[in-house]
Amino acid sequence: MFENILANPIIVVILTILVCFIISTLLPGIERKYIHARIQQRIGPILIAPGIMAPLKFMFKENVEVSSPVPGLYKALPIICFIVVLCVLIALTPQAYQIPALASLVAIVGFLKVEEICYVLMGALSKSVMSVRMPFPDKIKGAVHNNSNLSFIEDISARRSLRMITYGSFPLYLALFAPIVTARSIFLQDIVAYQQVHGPFLFTVSGAIAAFVFFIGYMIILNEYPFSIIKAKSDVIEGPYMEYAAKYRAVVYLTRGFFMFVLGCVFSVLFIGVPPTIMSVGFLINILVALIFVFMMGIFSAFAPVFTNRQLLPTILCTTLLGILAIGLGLL
Amino acid sequence: MDKKVPRSNIIETEIPMGTVHPAALEPYRVRFFVEDEIVQEAEITIGVNHRGIERIMEGLPVEKANALTEKICGICSNSHIWNSCRTAEMGLGIEIPQRALYIRVIMGELERLHSHFLYLAHGCEVLSHETFSMRVFYLREIVMELLAMIGGNRVQYGCSVLGGVRPRCDLDEAKLLRLKNDMDAVEEGLTGFVERFLADSVVQSRITGIGVLPQKQAIELAVTGPTLRATGVARDLRTTMFEYDEFDFNVITQPDGDVKSNLVMRALESFESIRIIRQAIANIPEGKVVNRDWEMVDTDISESYIEVPRGTLYHSYALESGRVRHCIIRTPSMANIGAMQYACIGDQITDAQLCIVQCDPCFTCTDRAIEIIRR
Repeated sequence: MFENILANPIIVVILTILVCFIISTLLPGIERKYIHARIQQRIGPILIAPGIMAPLKFMFKENVEVSSPVPGLYKALPIICFIVVLCVLIALTPQAYQIPALASLVAIVGFLKVEEICYVLMGALSKSVMSVRMPFPDKIKGAVHNNSNLSFIEDISARRSLRMITYGSFPLYLALFAPIVTARSIFLQDIVAYQQVHGPFLFTVSGAIAAFVFFIGYMIILNEYPFSIIKAKSDVIEGPYMEYAAKYRAVVYLTRGFFMFVLGCVFSVLFIGVPPTIMSVGFLINILVALIFVFMMGIFSAFAPVFTNRQLLPTILCTTLLGILAIGLGLL
Repeated sequence: MDKKVPRSNIIETEIPMGTVHPAALEPYRVRFFVEDEIVQEAEITIGVNHRGIERIMEGLPVEKANALTEKICGICSNSHIWNSCRTAEMGLGIEIPQRALYIRVIMGELERLHSHFLYLAHGCEVLSHETFSMRVFYLREIVMELLAMIGGNRVQYGCSVLGGVRPRCDLDEAKLLRLKNDMDAVEEGLTGFVERFLADSVVQSRITGIGVLPQKQAIELAVTGPTLRATGVARDLRTTMFEYDEFDFNVITQPDGDVKSNLVMRALESFESIRIIRQAIANIPEGKVVNRDWEMVDTDISESYIEVPRGTLYHSYALESGRVRHCIIRTPSMANIGAMQYACIGDQITDAQLCIVQCDPCFTCTDRAIEIIRR
């Protein structure tokens, strides 16, 4: 009976998603306790606090009505982000290879772009109390500009997200396209099959360079320090997430951990040729890759200050050039 | 032409930050007028934490008033009670035992160390470099424990009293030995931090040339303390204070007036503080720590200026039947607000809080100052 259940591809996909999701809830805790806290010589939170206990706690908190011109859309955005990440994971599973339109790199790039656009919308729709001023001109304190336009700090965040879409995500997408050039196909099935014959793309010169570029892109899309300009504590604080409370914040936390794991799976598929499925021992490689990325990101972010445009532009430019080099080498 | 003149006619939009903001440890509001994320003008408003301490001091017995001044600031509490006692002592002509002067200097320098470490840690935190921030906080912890050893508390020590220091703050051999050993540990830790900090090219690119305050502008704005010295002006009130007559130390300056200069300035000044503490430990004279042999009389307004971690601290009051009259206190941050506003101009909004923090603001102290406008 058990074999019959596992013969159903839909059930296998659901079980894979479930296991991936459970493991992903541990990733933020691993990053904060075993990397950041160890480096900074402090105890840190308990392992399950950031990824499991905090979302659970927020789930049961009373919600505060968001301050937004379109509250319905604003509240829906974290759920959309979660669904997008879920779609990426489904596209990566071998069972999805039967649907070529879904299991292709174009689809994955499309999903990731939706995720990025969500950040822009979140920033533009959040109008937190942090930027509210008195409903009368502030003359009493000797203010010089009484009639200037007021901007919410989340607006800066939205503009920065837009900027990240236009050039900040170049490294990630270039790294995603490097395996295509080598495998000469946009379909994941072909990319995996190519690597099963020729060995992992990671162990080629082009693959190694693209892997480094992917790592930088991974940190950028996760808004992790030092690339977290859309939610830098020194100015925009939480940026697009500022107004989320209770269950919506819980979804934000869960999505982040899940996204970390899924991006690790994207790397496993494109650079090692191991798709995520609980039916294969290779699933352990997916978990290992996700953990390695979390460790590397944790170490990197612990030793770097947040970048401003002065540091961000050269870094993205250099990484983009490396990505182009990886693609060029793949073409040779 | 000064490149940092506010461009008031092309203000695009206002971005308010505060009065509560995670990058600012204290309540104040700053309005940034920006054009494409570049700050064109900044406007700092304080006054949300006014406690009216001078008004409360009015008419209090001078001993109680002195104790109250400690509550002005949680970081430089010792400086306030020291300067307040000093004001009365100058008015009453009280002679302070030499041993008490040494203990006051040790407390003052320990307080400078913990204030500068807090500054460095906060600076790193605003840079979002938590690892460096934690590293400095661990160093600061040693100093805080030393202050607790001498004063009995980590924040409010109550060390200075009229005529000297409290007998419980006297330093025996065991305390002096611990002080000496811990200074070695602090120096070693600070050296390691400074070497690592200066070698980090990413951090250097974030702080070099940011929040520049030219020397001319600093003098015009009457900037004080390490913020002034970071622009190259060698002005340190400790060189004129009689308490420091027997100590050999250098007045540290830095040339550029930017965030880097300010951070390096505090780090180097911390080494000088360690040097002063070591001299005090080695040469502390024997004898009593408080002179009780004085009489309370009415005095005119007496004034006292001392160099505290953030700059020049001013206390003044008169005594009438042992009670305080016409009290005025001016903290260094009051003088540095202009510099904070100026330093932000021309830099990116992400650096703006860093430009304010580089001037080491302490608005909770400053908020007790009131300006009387006579019409």
